Amino acid sequence: MSAPGKKVFELFVSKIPWTLGTKEVKEYFGQFGHVRKCLLPFDKGTGFHKGFCWIGYTTEEGLHNALHKDPHVVEGSKLQVQQNMMPFTWRRMDKEAEES
Amino acid sequence: WRSLLLSSVLSLSPCSSAWPCSGTRYYGTPAEQKVVARDEPSLGVRNKQSHQFDWALAKLDSSVRRTGRVTKSLLQRIFHDICRTGYPSGNQALLLLRSCGSLLPELPLAERTEFAHHIWGKLLELGAAYDVSHYNALLKVYLQNEFKFSPTEFLAKMEAANVQPNRVTYQRLIAAYCQVGDIEGASKVLGFMKSKDLPITEAVFNSLVTGHSRAGDMESAVNILSVMRGTGIDPGPDTYLALLVAYAEKGDMDKIKETLNQVENTDISLMDRDLMQVVFTLTVAGHQQHVPEVLEHLRHDGGFVPDAMNLCLSLITQGHESTAFMLLKTFPSVQADSQNSNGPDVGNFFLRHCVNTNKLVGFCKGLMDSNLHAAPMQFTLYCALEAKKMAPAIEVMKTMKEEGLPIRPHYFWPLLAQHKRDQNTAGTLEVLKAMQELSTEPDIDTYCNYVLRTFPSVDSARTALAVLGCMWLCVLACMCVLVLRQGGRMNLVFTCAIMWSYFLLVHVCTGNLVPPRPENMAYFLYHLFDGMSETEVQAKEEVLREYLQQLHKKGICIPVNIYRGIRNILDSHHVPELIKGLESRVTLERKLEELKAQGSSGDSHLKCSKTIKCVCVFSQNLPRALELKAEHEDKMSPSCYALLINLCCRHDNPEEALNLKRELARMDSEATLDVNKYMSLLRVLSKHNRLEEAVDILKEMKEKDVVVKDTAVVLLFHTFSAVALRGDVAALRRLQDTTFALGLAKPTSNLCSPMVTMYLEKGDFAGALEAVMECETQYHQLPRIHDVLCGIVKKGDTELLQKAMDFVSQQRGEMTVLYDLFFAFLQTGRYREARKIIETPGLRAKPGRLQWYAEKCIGSNQMEALETMVDLTAKLFECDRDEMYHYLLCLCKDTNDWSKAEAVWTKMQEENVIPRERTLRLLADIFKTNNQEVPFEVPEVNWWSLMSLGAVYHAEAYNVLKEAERLGKALVPACYDALIKALLSSGSMEDAMAVKDINLTLTRKNRKMLKENALASLKTMLQMDQVPSQLALTRLVQGLGNHGDIKGIQEVASLIKSLSPSLNMSSMLFVNNMALAHIKKTMAERLCHQFASYKPATDLFLQCLDTGRVEEARQLLQVASLRQRLRPFSISRGAIAKIKNLLELIPDFAEKELVYAYMMKSMDKNLEAAKALYRRMQAEGLQMNELSLKRLAQLYKKAGEPVPFEEPPETFKFYADKLKASTLPSPEDD
Repeated sequence: MSAPGKKVFELFVSKIPWTLGTKEVKEYFGQFGHVRKCLLPFDKGTGFHKGFCWIGYTTEEGLHNALHKDPHVVEGSKLQVQQNMMPFTWRRMDKEAEES
Repeated sequence: WRSLLLSSVLSLSPCSSAWPCSGTRYYGTPAEQKVVARDEPSLGVRNKQSHQFDWALAKLDSSVRRTGRVTKSLLQRIFHDICRTGYPSGNQALLLLRSCGSLLPELPLAERTEFAHHIWGKLLELGAAYDVSHYNALLKVYLQNEFKFSPTEFLAKMEAANVQPNRVTYQRLIAAYCQVGDIEGASKVLGFMKSKDLPITEAVFNSLVTGHSRAGDMESAVNILSVMRGTGIDPGPDTYLALLVAYAEKGDMDKIKETLNQVENTDISLMDRDLMQVVFTLTVAGHQQHVPEVLEHLRHDGGFVPDAMNLCLSLITQGHESTAFMLLKTFPSVQADSQNSNGPDVGNFFLRHCVNTNKLVGFCKGLMDSNLHAAPMQFTLYCALEAKKMAPAIEVMKTMKEEGLPIRPHYFWPLLAQHKRDQNTAGTLEVLKAMQELSTEPDIDTYCNYVLRTFPSVDSARTALAVLGCMWLCVLACMCVLVLRQGGRMNLVFTCAIMWSYFLLVHVCTGNLVPPRPENMAYFLYHLFDGMSETEVQAKEEVLREYLQQLHKKGICIPVNIYRGIRNILDSHHVPELIKGLESRVTLERKLEELKAQGSSGDSHLKCSKTIKCVCVFSQNLPRALELKAEHEDKMSPSCYALLINLCCRHDNPEEALNLKRELARMDSEATLDVNKYMSLLRVLSKHNRLEEAVDILKEMKEKDVVVKDTAVVLLFHTFSAVALRGDVAALRRLQDTTFALGLAKPTSNLCSPMVTMYLEKGDFAGALEAVMECETQYHQLPRIHDVLCGIVKKGDTELLQKAMDFVSQQRGEMTVLYDLFFAFLQTGRYREARKIIETPGLRAKPGRLQWYAEKCIGSNQMEALETMVDLTAKLFECDRDEMYHYLLCLCKDTNDWSKAEAVWTKMQEENVIPRERTLRLLADIFKTNNQEVPFEVPEVNWWSLMSLGAVYHAEAYNVLKEAERLGKALVPACYDALIKALLSSGSMEDAMAVKDINLTLTRKNRKMLKENALASLKTMLQMDQVPSQLALTRLVQGLGNHGDIKGIQEVASLIKSLSPSLNMSSMLFVNNMALAHIKKTMAERLCHQFASYKPATDLFLQCLDTGRVEEARQLLQVASLRQRLRPFSISRGAIAKIKNLLELIPDFAEKELVYAYMMKSMDKNLEAAKALYRRMQAEGLQMNELSLKRLAQLYKKAGEPVPFEEPPETFKFYADKLKASTLPSPEDD
């Protein structure tokens, strides 16, 4: 339930291989525009991340650049990238992301 | 005779090997079993246990069927679960024991046996009762694990436990002797079997092949094959396998090739699995060099990959990684497609198992070079990390570093997470050192989430880390110290910090008790409670309340929807006190405006239908009926005509029937007969060869939209069949084509079959085949193809058979043909051919088809065919063996043949099949009805589990229900309801109907509103000591209630009072329906006084709303304290007027937002009303949810008006899902 009017430019990325960490993901998506936020939640019980993350761009342009590229292959793995359609989940994940 | 057996075996067999497990511990004597006090398990435990068994069995079974193995951790988990629940059933024990052999390829042989013994002892302690099937299963495990034991002692244990060995036991003992090359021992047992007239099966001979070869006598081993033929048993695939394995042990490749050639010349086919056995033996015996040659013979058929994986795992377990790797390279490689996939990853299982067995990794490069795996090192590292194995993990990382691959801080987190959990500071420091060595700098997350948390105090962390030279960390550590040492109000925060530490610490450090954004607070609270366990919440109740009050003082508000979510959590934690604390803050204090009445909803009166007595129907006397009709011509109603027409049809008088129909049409051109009467007409017309009139009837039915279904379809089928019986092809075709062309009934296989039947009856198979082919081309049905094929096979017309096969194959695919042929061969006793068909490589089990044939056999009492099918499908890929044997037992039950049933049970042991509970119950039932002792523990029937079962395995549940019905058990009504719902939801209309048919008499009569009759039937039933089903009773009572028949309900209530305990009828049924009856009689006030119960009163209230009796509803509200009890769900589907009435009556209704959401949903096309609603909500300060906003926006758009607010951009479904996800009831999920 994001506040209406406030524009967000978010990606939802899944199928992230375990070898990539927050830094790597942020770096990769940084090539399309300035990344304001990069949330890659980790399971602190196992120490592995959950395979998906959210990328927030400061500009719409960054978002579009990222969405235009296909496929997104990082270190031999193809990431699944889509516009984040679930602002609600975003909020939920806040907690976990900040935990990690 | 048992002592005879013992002496015969004991005295003669030199005990070459000893029990390795120091004896008695593992084998329960009767005395021991008695010592264990077996409290009768409570029903709850039994229910849980039975439920658990289903789960465990399904889990293990699916694992075995998919992969041919189970993992140790899965087995262990199930074992622990069973132990924890206590009272392990015989079935569970069998399930666990069976799994301790070759199903555990990842475990060394000795460990597997040890696990089996552990399970055996532990379950015995817990009171498991072992029967012969358990001993046999243990023997099988011994054989599979090549465990050396003394067969004589084994028998002695069985004797002591008072368990009688059976054929399978002896067979396996022979195998055990043979495994160590003890031919003498084997012969003794064999001699004993002969003396007991036990059949000597192929399995025994196969063992002897092994036995002779292990004794070093290959000549005798080979000779066994001719001995077999001499006794009339042909060597099977297993015989040749035994021979091949014998040669493999010797490394005699020439003989292996010779034998393989020999096999090719027989009609036996060896499966890949068999050849893999040869590969395994060659490797273990040290003849790896021959492996590639055998690998060439693999066909890569259906189950190749799982089998080959298991072989690889076994080889790795036993230290033969290089052979395993050789095999791995023969795996089909997935083509790497850079566009769509992440590169090949064949061999993951291989790498994982290498890591788990501490075999260090030398295969990564090989995998990469052969293009099987794109990133083997990363995967190996992943496995090592997952298994928390530091040494191999570090080693792989070193290699990776050498290869120039990056090593990242989070690679170490899994290791650190483990140390954190164990509070293992030394381990943590070791990991940090390793990180330094690999020049990977730990980042802030590494410290905050893992490293610091491992240490008991910040001081110790600081000291330890200082040693490592992580100086800058001290700053951070000190900061934490400051936070943690703050007393007072920080205590609570610290509590939260355990779950939320990082998040909260940051906020606390910045001096805020409350996170910066107020709306976050609500989420914070939600997650706080969500994350706490019940005990935690209860223990910290006081602290939490204080915290909440502080928030309250600060003026923090929580949005209503989140409040509700929190309340739900707290509700489930049983802390109502806390809820109260929260409730005061709900911002729902504003007044509600009165809704304007939107015109009074018109009372809909039930039309009283005219009923005329029609004596003729009851008299069943056609001439008399016609007379009566003539007398009272003017009083005849359409329904009287309908009854009369039906009577004419029944008396085979088409002329009169048509006359009456014409009269009826004159009287009322709109009059429509019901479908069954049309069917009667159709039947009688076609019987009298009045084809044109029959076709006219069909056309009229179409015109008048008469729906043909259920029983009417059956009637239609009989009509067609009757025409077919006359051999009138033209008439039959005309009727069928008209019916299907009009779309009156779907051209099902059954409805199409009469045409085929016609030819079959004449023995004209070519004609029958033509008819089938025509049906297939026209309607995509293959009616009676089985019978046609059987006829052709019997006749031996290969040309025609080829034609049939080609056609079916072309239309339905090869799989269908194979099964059709298989069944045709079985049916005609051509078992050799049947075997060849079912052994077709790549053929999979088709449960539906197998069931079809099994039920056919059961129905027509064909034991031999059924038995053969069960035999032949033993190795069929993915075949549910228990199901197969269950079919056999069903037939045994029908024929009441207990000795056959016992043989089936033995056969199940031989095949290592775990019977499901229902199978055991059926078996026990057969024994009991024949006054035989049941040789195993019978699982209790858990009727309640039917309900949950119903949802998933409705077919199964339905069977249990039928069984229950047969045994005369009464089920709780919920079972019927659940089952009917489940069956309906899966589209099994007929089964659902059958459930209803169980005791349907009452229900049906009731439907026809002949309630007096229904009551009378009930009385008769009770007199005859029959118990009516709850469903029937419920329907009856409901029917009575609908008619306002209070007396009737009371009568039923008193009638079944005596039965109540067994029927388990809810008293609410009567209460509710009394209430309904009272409503019908408008005696509402009395009701509330009569019943001090809310449920009927709320029902009544809603009923009043339903029927628009607002005044009465208002009165009800005065009487009963209903307000709190009303839930908006009750009106979820209600019309707008209803909701309005509700709001008018209860202005302070608690969950207004929800009510408004429902209202918005109901605002079809009425923009003005919707606008008003929106304004009102705004005035009341309520937020409209996005779904409702979206709806409103749509209304604006439809009306062509601009939308005055920002329309939510997503789809309806999106918002509906979102609402659902928020765990709050929404208008969509009612």
